[in-house]
Amino acid sequence: MADKEVLGKKPLQILEKIRENLERLNEKMEVMIELQKHGRRDVQPIPSEAPLDVMTLLSMPDHLRKTAMTVCRLGRATADEVAQQTRRARAVESAYLNQLVIMGYLKKERQGRKAYFYIEKEGQG
Amino acid sequence: MGKMVAVHSYKGGTGKTLISTNLAVTLAKHGKKVCLLDLDFRAPSLSTLLKIDKAEYWLNDYLNGVCEIDKALIDLSDRIANQGKFFVGLANPSVEAIRDMSSKDRKWEMRALGRLLSLRNSLLNAKGFDYVIFDTSPGLQYSSINAIVSADIVIVATTLDNSDVEGTRRMLRDLYDLFEKKTEIVLNKVLYDDALRSGRDKLQAMVKDTYEVPLLGVIPCFCDVSRAEGKIIFVHDKPEHPFTRILAEVAAKMDKL
Repeated sequence: MADKEVLGKKPLQILEKIRENLERLNEKMEVMIELQKHGRRDVQPIPSEAPLDVMTLLSMPDHLRKTAMTVCRLGRATADEVAQQTRRARAVESAYLNQLVIMGYLKKERQGRKAYFYIEKEGQG
Repeated sequence: MGKMVAVHSYKGGTGKTLISTNLAVTLAKHGKKVCLLDLDFRAPSLSTLLKIDKAEYWLNDYLNGVCEIDKALIDLSDRIANQGKFFVGLANPSVEAIRDMSSKDRKWEMRALGRLLSLRNSLLNAKGFDYVIFDTSPGLQYSSINAIVSADIVIVATTLDNSDVEGTRRMLRDLYDLFEKKTEIVLNKVLYDDALRSGRDKLQAMVKDTYEVPLLGVIPCFCDVSRAEGKIIFVHDKPEHPFTRILAEVAAKMDKL
């Protein structure tokens, strides 16, 4: 009985792992597509971590500002939650969020299948 | 759900503190639970206006992460003698505190933005405030832009002074538009006849053409307001004055936004 359960679970775990990897691959592709769309100029990584203050928000391209401001408001959010606020597609928000991570403005943390985006506040806030 | 309102202007002396304080008290007198926060850390004025010399905690302390917001609030509901609630949070007026607040770096300003944004939860949601009103510094100061980003509605106090009109127009285009804020104009210090009689429609058209945002109210230049020398809360001490009636109209209009 116990052996059957183990055997039954294993393929599920493998499928789950494949799905996670596909999702990560998808996110990476979304970032690459966005990079091509807006040009590399917008998403130059900034040396060391960059504070996401209002002057930085002001100097951002419009499409990224909207996403960054939403994360400011929500504190910590998934691409889904941001997309609900901005009324843009989840895939688009996922790409913008990942761009903001590359630029050093946001941090990303995985919890199970979900990826959370937030602003690093060095233990304060 | 309550609202966060920032009262801002391009230039100083346009009546931000006059409008924010009297608007807050008007709303409280109409039964609302209101919190007025002085974010003008470079030239604090609410402590003088409300005659409060000492506070256990200032708003500076809240933004510095020293205390939670409820410690920095002072309950002045008894002063307005009504069923509404009126709380204030003050900027520390000491020279040392002003100097300290002018030398903050970008990381501090980022955390300050986070703390202002979190007032939505701590004051509107948890404590049931109907309004949190920010009185700000003029122009493009960090603390003011933080307040604008945190607010649901921005009220811009402006006069008919030419440099103020030009500056306000630029600020609307280059600042508020970028943050997609609901913005309303209050014209202050307008000649009495222009404000209340013949010129009303002309002013409305001018605001629409120049600023492309709605006109929330027009306040004439009242000598009585100047004569009060910022020593009284006008709408409370002069309930029959036309200024009080105009502020009540502005408050009612804002409540519907």
